[in-house]
Amino acid sequence: MSKSLLVISRQAPWSGPSAREALDIVLAGGAFDLPIGLLFMDDGVFQLAPHQDAKAVQQKDLGANLQALGLFGIDDVFACHHSLTARGLTHPVNAQPLSSEDISKLIDRYDQVITL
Amino acid sequence: MNTLTVGARTFELDKDGYLVDLNDWSVDVANALAAAESLALTPSHWEILELLRGFYAEFQLSPATRPLIKYTALKLGPEKGNSLHLNQLFKGTPAKLAAKLAGLPRPTNCL
Amino acid sequence: MSTLHVVSHSPFTDSRLDSCLRICGSEDAILLCGDGAYGLRHPALQLKGVKVFVLAEDSQARNLPLPDWADSVDYPGFVQLSLDHDKVNTWL
Repeated sequence: MSKSLLVISRQAPWSGPSAREALDIVLAGGAFDLPIGLLFMDDGVFQLAPHQDAKAVQQKDLGANLQALGLFGIDDVFACHHSLTARGLTHPVNAQPLSSEDISKLIDRYDQVITL
Repeated sequence: MNTLTVGARTFELDKDGYLVDLNDWSVDVANALAAAESLALTPSHWEILELLRGFYAEFQLSPATRPLIKYTALKLGPEKGNSLHLNQLFKGTPAKLAAKLAGLPRPTNCL
Repeated sequence: MSTLHVVSHSPFTDSRLDSCLRICGSEDAILLCGDGAYGLRHPALQLKGVKVFVLAEDSQARNLPLPDWADSVDYPGFVQLSLDHDKVNTWL
């Protein structure tokens, strides 16, 4: 049985490579059928804002990539409720909102954690 | 530098033989890329190549093998969305070879 | 299950420590290193009641006195803490 991994993505989408790197870890793990979870928190929840335009800043469309998570076998996708409300994000795309207490329990469930 | 010549035009390829500019892709280019791999494209191949181009348009990435199988099963049914069918069509490396022929970048999550 | 959270950013310019405190479980511990050591001056850290450690050389370099609610560790101590917890979450 492979060790399970939780990736916590907490950087905004266009501020640097972190958001992309977190997603690449998750997609690579999913391609190998590893038990993997993805949690967006802090500015990472901005990755879930709808109707972003990656082309305007000559970037690849992270939002479109995120839509492929299910096909890569990644069904455990979560977002920090506190971070969402603090940023006025009421309609995050495809992520289950979790309270701070639930995030604490979530981390307990996984064997390893990577925070980017 | 790797290049591919189709008729009077020459296209730039990367070191693994993938098109550098995705806009260079056409049916003729796909046939030429397939010929370079000693493969003759049949309607069964085209069906997957079109599917892949649709995948890329939707998700902006090239699928690894497992998501490719899953997506094919979703769109064309399980009799086509399985590793046997895709491996037979694309010489055992469907994610890499089909992406190449469909004019997509090399799948980054496919080691 | 317990997690050792490693924080190396100052809480006065960065949200990492605040976020870490928000999701910290009762069995968890926080290790401050680098500018994270300035967390010793962060009142919220004491209020949370979580175990706090600081890398000795980083608090020493910054002349940060050790409050009674925190403990100081050297590098072997850091390794031991990593082993004592089920996992390590480094807030990169």
